Amino acid sequence: MKKNSSLLTVSGVSKIYQMDEVAVKALDNISLTIKRGEFVSIVGPSGSGKSTLMHLIGCLDIPTSGKIILDGEDISELEERELSDVRNHKIGFVFQAFNLLPRTSALENVTMPLLYNSTSEEHAIEKAKAALEMVGLGERMYHHPNQLSGGQQQRVAIARALITDAPILLGDEPTGNLDSKSGTEIMKIFRNLHQHGKTIILVTHDDELANQADRKIMIKDGKIIN
Amino acid sequence: MSFKSLLKIAIRAIKANKSRSLLTSLGVIIGVASVILLVSVGSGLKDYITSEMQDMGSNLVMVMPGEIDLDKLGAGSSAMSSSFAAMSTSKLKLEDLNALKQQVPYIEEVVGLVMGSAPIRYQNESKIAQVLGTTADYTEVRKGEFESGGFFTEADVNSGRKVAVIGYKIADEIFGSPYVVGEKFKLGEYRYTVIGVMAEAGGQGSMSPDDKIYIPITVAQRQFNQDHLGIIFAQAKSSDDVAPTVSMTQEVMERRLDKEDFTVLDQKEILSTVSGILNTLTIALGGIAAISLLVGGIGIMNIMLVSVTERTQEIGLRKALGAKPEVILTQFLLEATILSVGGGLIGILVGAGGSLLIGIFMPTTVAWWSIVLAFVVSAGVGIIFGVTPAKKASELSPIEALRHE
Repeated sequence: MKKNSSLLTVSGVSKIYQMDEVAVKALDNISLTIKRGEFVSIVGPSGSGKSTLMHLIGCLDIPTSGKIILDGEDISELEERELSDVRNHKIGFVFQAFNLLPRTSALENVTMPLLYNSTSEEHAIEKAKAALEMVGLGERMYHHPNQLSGGQQQRVAIARALITDAPILLGDEPTGNLDSKSGTEIMKIFRNLHQHGKTIILVTHDDELANQADRKIMIKDGKIIN
Repeated sequence: MSFKSLLKIAIRAIKANKSRSLLTSLGVIIGVASVILLVSVGSGLKDYITSEMQDMGSNLVMVMPGEIDLDKLGAGSSAMSSSFAAMSTSKLKLEDLNALKQQVPYIEEVVGLVMGSAPIRYQNESKIAQVLGTTADYTEVRKGEFESGGFFTEADVNSGRKVAVIGYKIADEIFGSPYVVGEKFKLGEYRYTVIGVMAEAGGQGSMSPDDKIYIPITVAQRQFNQDHLGIIFAQAKSSDDVAPTVSMTQEVMERRLDKEDFTVLDQKEILSTVSGILNTLTIALGGIAAISLLVGGIGIMNIMLVSVTERTQEIGLRKALGAKPEVILTQFLLEATILSVGGGLIGILVGAGGSLLIGIFMPTTVAWWSIVLAFVVSAGVGIIFGVTPAKKASELSPIEALRHE
C-alpha cells in the first residue's frame, strides 16, 4: 500500500450520549483524515471529546451520525461482532494502565490478539517472541506482569499491539502511568516504529508529548480547533 | 479462538481462585454425592428384599390371615400394619393346611407357621428370640442348610417333642458354638433340646433366618397357647403351576373360611408390590437430594456473577483485542461448566465411596443410572446457571468495561 494514501477518513461525525433526559453532544460534526505512515497526536483537556474520538477511531463504538472509513472499509454502521473483527485486524491498542492480564506471562499476553483470529498457537507464540525481542524484552518473556516494571509492562503492551500487523497503533495516554524516564523510552519506541512506517495515533492531554508527533489535532468542546 | 485455548483460559481462571472454586463446587459435590448415596441405599434395600424373597424358595404361594389389598399397600403403611394385626387374630388352622395338601393337585409341599417370640435361656446367656413353629416339610419349601444336626421329623411334630433347630447367630451368641446338638435350653417355660443348627444365611435384622428358632408346630401352639397359624406357605410344582395353585387355593379356602379372613398371594405379586414401594422411596430420596444439586447450581451462578463483575476489565480488554461476544460467552460458560462437572465428578467419587462405607452397616447398591443422572444433571446445572453470568459478560460494552476500576 503506498504511502500518503489516506488510511482513516472521518467525515461529519457526531456522537451524542443520551444521559437520562439530557443529550450530551460529545463530538460535533468532526472531519479529519490520517494518511498512511503518519504520526498524529490528538490533544485536548479532559471532557473535550478526545476520548470519544479515540473510541470511534478504535472501533470500540460507532458514531451517532457521519461516516468513518478505515483502511477502505466503512465502519460507521457495523455490529459489535463485526467491529471486534476490525479491531483485531486494524487496531493495535496501547492503554494508559497497560491492561495486561495478571498471572499470565508476557508471552501469553502478547499472543492473545492472534488467538482471537484463529491463528495457530505455535505460529502465535513464534510471532509473540519476535515482537517481544523487538521491544527489548526477549529475556523476560516468561515473566508475569507483577514481576515487570511499569515501563517493561507498557513494552509488553506495545508488543501485543504490534503482533497482528495492524495498520494503526492507537495509544491512549501511553505514558500517563509512567515515570518520565520510562515515558521517554516508550515515546522513543513509538518514534522508532513511526520511522519504520507505522501509522501512530497518540491521544493525550499532555501538550509536550503531543508536540513529538508530526501533526497535532486539538479538540475542545467536541470540535477540532486547529 | 480454538476450544483448547478457551479451555486453558477457563482452567487458569479456576486455578487462580482455588479455594473459592472448591467452595463453589461444594454445592454440586454435596448434591451429586447425596443423590448417589441415597439412591444406593434405596436400591440396596430393594436388592436385599428381592434376594431375601427369592431365598425363601421358588414358586411360593402364601395364604395370609385377614384381607390384604396389595394395591393399597403402596399407598400407606396402614394396610401393612393391619395385616400384622391380622396374624394374631388369624383363623387359619392346621386343618386348612391338610385340606390344601389333599385338594390342590398343583401343590408340591405346604407348610404352616406359628410365629411368636420368647426368652431363650442357656446357662448365663439369654435373649428374646423369634420363634417359628412349623412342620417337618419346612426346609423343602424354604431353602436351608445345616451347620450341624438336622431338621425335626414328622414324628417329632406329631408326638410334640420339644426339639429345636436354631439359627446360626443364636447358636453363636447364646451357645458360643454352632456344634451344640444335644444341648438343652429353656424357651419361656419349656425345656428344649437342640437337634440342628442352620448354616449362616447372612442378612440383617428381623428378616434374617440366623436369628430364629424353629420348633415343631404342635409344640409352638402349646408354647404360645394358640391354635391358629400365622401364615401358610404352599409350593407349586413348577412356575407354570403357580397361577392354578393361587386360584384353587382361593377356592378351597373360600369353602372353609370367610373371604375377609384370608388372602392368597403369590411371591411375584408381593415382590412387584414391594419393589414398587421401594422404587417410589428411592425416587423420593433421589429427588430430595436433587434439590441440593439445584442449590449448588445457584451457588455457581452467584460466584460466576461475582467473577464477571470482578473481571470486567479483563472482559473489556479481551473485547478490545478482538474477542467476539460469543467467544466471551463460551469462555465463561466453560468456566461454570468445569466447576459443575468437576464438582459432579468429585461428588460421584464421594457418593460411591460413602455408599461403600455405609455398605458395612446396611445393604447398598450404587445404581449406575444414578451416576449417569447425577453427572448429566450437574453438567446441565452448570450450563443452565452459567448462561446468565456468561451472557452478562458477553454483552458488556468494551468501553465501559475498560474504564471499570
